[in-house]
Amino acid sequence: MRVLDYEIPESLYYSKEHEWVRLEGKEAVVGITDYAQKQLHEIVYVEVQQEGSEVKQFQTMGTVESVKSVSDIFSPVTGKITNVNTELADSPELLNQDPYEKGWLAKINLSDFKNDMKNLLSAQQYADYIKTMET
Amino acid sequence: MSKPLKITHLYQFHKQTAKMIEFAGFQMPIWYKGIIPEHLAVRTRVGVFDITHMGRALITGAKSEAFLNHVTTNDVSLLAPLSAQYSTICNEEGGIKDDFVVSRLEQEKFLMVYNAANREKDYQWLVQNAEDFDVKVEDASDNIAMFAVQGPNAQQTLQKIASTDLSKIERFKCGWTKLAGAIGFVSRTGYTGEDGFEVFVWNTPLSKSENAVKVWNAILEAGKEFRIEPCGLGARDTLRLEAGMCLYGNDIDETTTPLEAGLGFVVKLKKESFIGKDALTKQKAEGIKKKRVGLRMLEKGPNPRPKQEVWKDNAQKIGYVTSGTFSPLLECGIAMAYVSIEHATEGGIVMVKVRDKTLKAEIVKFPLYDPTRYGYMRQK
Repeated sequence: MRVLDYEIPESLYYSKEHEWVRLEGKEAVVGITDYAQKQLHEIVYVEVQQEGSEVKQFQTMGTVESVKSVSDIFSPVTGKITNVNTELADSPELLNQDPYEKGWLAKINLSDFKNDMKNLLSAQQYADYIKTMET
Repeated sequence: MSKPLKITHLYQFHKQTAKMIEFAGFQMPIWYKGIIPEHLAVRTRVGVFDITHMGRALITGAKSEAFLNHVTTNDVSLLAPLSAQYSTICNEEGGIKDDFVVSRLEQEKFLMVYNAANREKDYQWLVQNAEDFDVKVEDASDNIAMFAVQGPNAQQTLQKIASTDLSKIERFKCGWTKLAGAIGFVSRTGYTGEDGFEVFVWNTPLSKSENAVKVWNAILEAGKEFRIEPCGLGARDTLRLEAGMCLYGNDIDETTTPLEAGLGFVVKLKKESFIGKDALTKQKAEGIKKKRVGLRMLEKGPNPRPKQEVWKDNAQKIGYVTSGTFSPLLECGIAMAYVSIEHATEGGIVMVKVRDKTLKAEIVKFPLYDPTRYGYMRQK
């Protein structure tokens, strides 16, 4: 769905820190939302913890820099990083151009998604949340 | 309670077209299209900035030259009418209270343009120190709108709406002209490293903003053939950093002196007396211990940011970053830093601690770009 100026795919889960989660079996693909990339604008650097790192829900899993600012990326789920998007090293602008597909950040082997899910939002809930941020 | 935020004459334009931020008590645009395209427009064509938020004071009277020579470190007696100079105001210890540009409008009339964040502090300081001089200090900030037209096509753009020949105004000179019919004063100065003008629209309080809006729109229209961009504070910051110009509050403040900041050329120790002279004379004789330098990151990776530490060989901390960003022109991290004097050598390799990483940087001279290809010295 499209809310205000932001794309919010229905099939994903969202965090209030503006990360998204796409389930792929026992793994989750995670990234930052269209809202996040539009707020950051002109992303010039992104780093995510290495493959094999254990991450906890809502703890720092990386950093994203725009020209002017530095922001933490918080993992929306708990688990082990199995894969990071290496294309972002040379092309951080993929986060701006395609935040839900080519701009994915990492794949995480989930340890307890049932529990993580309690703290995540549906697309509709996230859309409502964005509306409160913009007013 | 905090004060309500101030706005400029162009608030409606900015609000509709830019991402806004609070800066020095004003609501100002940080970018319109984006920092990178705006930055590159100024480096290769032309851009226009609303800089009305800056502070402006008029100093008039028989003793205005003597007064300014007392409160500032540069020598205003060197200024012929319709000339401008960069300078600093220091405290008694030689610490920088502000940096600014002063223009001599007439033999006994000067216009000072200083940082928005220091508007009240500077005005108070000027008034307080003017007591022994036969001068009038007037805060003209709210009466003048101010734009910067910067880039290699700045003169061609502004000429279309100016009533006088702008090619006659050399760098750091100024003059009166009509701009789109309004009374304008222009100085060939700026904060980008590029050729260009700072434009003052006179007698334009917020309550009478028509002339300011008219001049702004006329500049945008005149610059269309050069694909002019309105530019926000984001590009203003990356441009000045590439050019090696200081940002007050980051790179200079009351704990740094002009000598440490590499601004010795605006300190005229031969002047009879001025505030800070004794401290600066002493520091010059003893030698400075730290110095402002430019850094260019040698590795791809995170960008340097203020307060990060600078090390030599991973063994010794030698300084700290005061401004850092991604350079849209050079496409790498760049910074200003203060390092201990024995390490402040061009070509020296240092390490910047960026969060959990230690990254190599080279100490480079300002401007950080090739001055034969970019900036006001470029070979045409």
